[in-house]
Amino acid sequence: MNTTKESFSNLFSLEDVYFDIEGKVILSKINVAIDNTGITGIIGPSGSGKSTFLRLLNKLISPTQGIVKFKDSDIAEMKSQELRKEIGMVLQRPFLFKGTVKSNLLYGPKIWNIDYIDPELVNLLDTVSLEADFLERDIEGLSGGEQQRVSLARSLANQPIVLLLDEPTTALDIVSEEIIENTLKQLASEGIKIIIVTHSLEQTKRLTEQLLFLKEGLLIEKTTTKDFFKQYNDQEIRSFFKNKEGK
Amino acid sequence: MVSQTLIDIWNSLRQANIWIRIALAFILLLVLISLSFWQKTKLESKLIWSFLRGTIQIVLFGSILSLIFGIRKLWMLYLILFLMCLFAAFTNARSYPYPRLFLIGFIAITSSSIVIMTLVMFSYIFPGFEGIIPLDPDTLELTGEYVIPIGSMVISFAMRVSGIAIERVKSDIIKSKGNIEAALALGDSPYRAIQNILRESYRAGLTPTINRVASLGIVTIPGLMAGMIIGGVPPVEAAIYQIVIFLMLLSASFITSIITNILFTKQFFTKKQQFDIEFLNKIAKLDNQTTGALLKERWKKWREKIKRKKKSVETTD
Repeated sequence: MNTTKESFSNLFSLEDVYFDIEGKVILSKINVAIDNTGITGIIGPSGSGKSTFLRLLNKLISPTQGIVKFKDSDIAEMKSQELRKEIGMVLQRPFLFKGTVKSNLLYGPKIWNIDYIDPELVNLLDTVSLEADFLERDIEGLSGGEQQRVSLARSLANQPIVLLLDEPTTALDIVSEEIIENTLKQLASEGIKIIIVTHSLEQTKRLTEQLLFLKEGLLIEKTTTKDFFKQYNDQEIRSFFKNKEGK
Repeated sequence: MVSQTLIDIWNSLRQANIWIRIALAFILLLVLISLSFWQKTKLESKLIWSFLRGTIQIVLFGSILSLIFGIRKLWMLYLILFLMCLFAAFTNARSYPYPRLFLIGFIAITSSSIVIMTLVMFSYIFPGFEGIIPLDPDTLELTGEYVIPIGSMVISFAMRVSGIAIERVKSDIIKSKGNIEAALALGDSPYRAIQNILRESYRAGLTPTINRVASLGIVTIPGLMAGMIIGGVPPVEAAIYQIVIFLMLLSASFITSIITNILFTKQFFTKKQQFDIEFLNKIAKLDNQTTGALLKERWKKWREKIKRKKKSVETTD
């Protein structure tokens, strides 16, 4: 997983970003910059706009107003498909395509004419702690945790420099969660920028170095994870996570 | 010609046999209504209305059929085919009330049916071939007698198959939203991301007809072929004719489905290769409504619009 060092001030920067749909405001007045290192967490109560924030970064949606920049360039000017090759994404559910694990891993590379030989695919599986014999397995027979790991490997097959993850471990057991977290730490140490949406404070503590805290569509806080947990006690943090309905 | 048609209708209605047949049909209708009452299907008024409307329509149609069959002018034949396409698009748009479906259906049904019909109508230009559609033996012209019934088969098939395809494609896109988004996130184009969905929709639309072709002569005895044999055409000739008709129907249906699907699915995505969330929500909302509820809602909106207009006129006065 080699990433070339390029000169840019911020990996992502959002300038006065608003997003609304059918008259409902999802995000408003977001001004933030995300640097190129480590793992960044996006936290906040349900409905705070975390997933929307993430989708803005790889242009799966476009802001109603404002500018999203990737490596100092406005992504509105960039080709969506090429941007998404550089910015991989793992969704909350694996959403694998019908067929084998191998056909799923090769889905992206086929678009981009990246040649893979079987040993390289086995290495890719090894990254997400799956055995070589998984390659020819049909996705129907995989457990939820295995499917999510294949989904992660599928994104990595495009050789992205950024990986966006939308609550990837929500529906998984503790073992699968731990495997995915270890993989993410490993990828971050290899130079891939990770941005993860999570609702778990424990996962935030374990994984992230910096975090963005969103509430009701507003960016409340951008800080280091250490400072966040030093600054607020558990009760205060819990109260932050209560949304309008008190959930 | 019109007056002659009216005289024909009047003469037919004067025959006692017609009224006996109507009375017998009425008894059968009463049986149907009784069954409906018994099974509490609440279909009674629909049965009466449908049969009344159907009877009037078919009597009128039967009467003008001789006029249509007599048409020999090429532009008039095309005009009738064109009007049939227009009505087919309207019928599809009413059954599947999705945005721009009338226009999409009209473009798709017209282009495919007219192309197929033109190929068939002018197939006689091949040297030594008398043409798929027989010409008038005296004037060697195309006549409505063959062009219109074959055209109606092609157009109605295209309408039905494209309707099935569109319904399938729409529900599959909503169902597979996550997978499509996953493909887009990997850098795929919207068109490629829904390739499997499009493929399945074509299969769903065409398979029943393909199965029908496979069972020809064993399970299915097509009316056209049977009619030709009764009319004295040799069985082999009638069979080949029937096969050609099925191929025309399948080709027109396939082309219509492709055009309809491409134009319809384009609306699901933006130029930036994203889901058009507003369109998707609109379609999903329509999906949860029955056609009846939808028509009621449209009627309500229309009445409100009229009321608003009236009010604004009164205020200006």
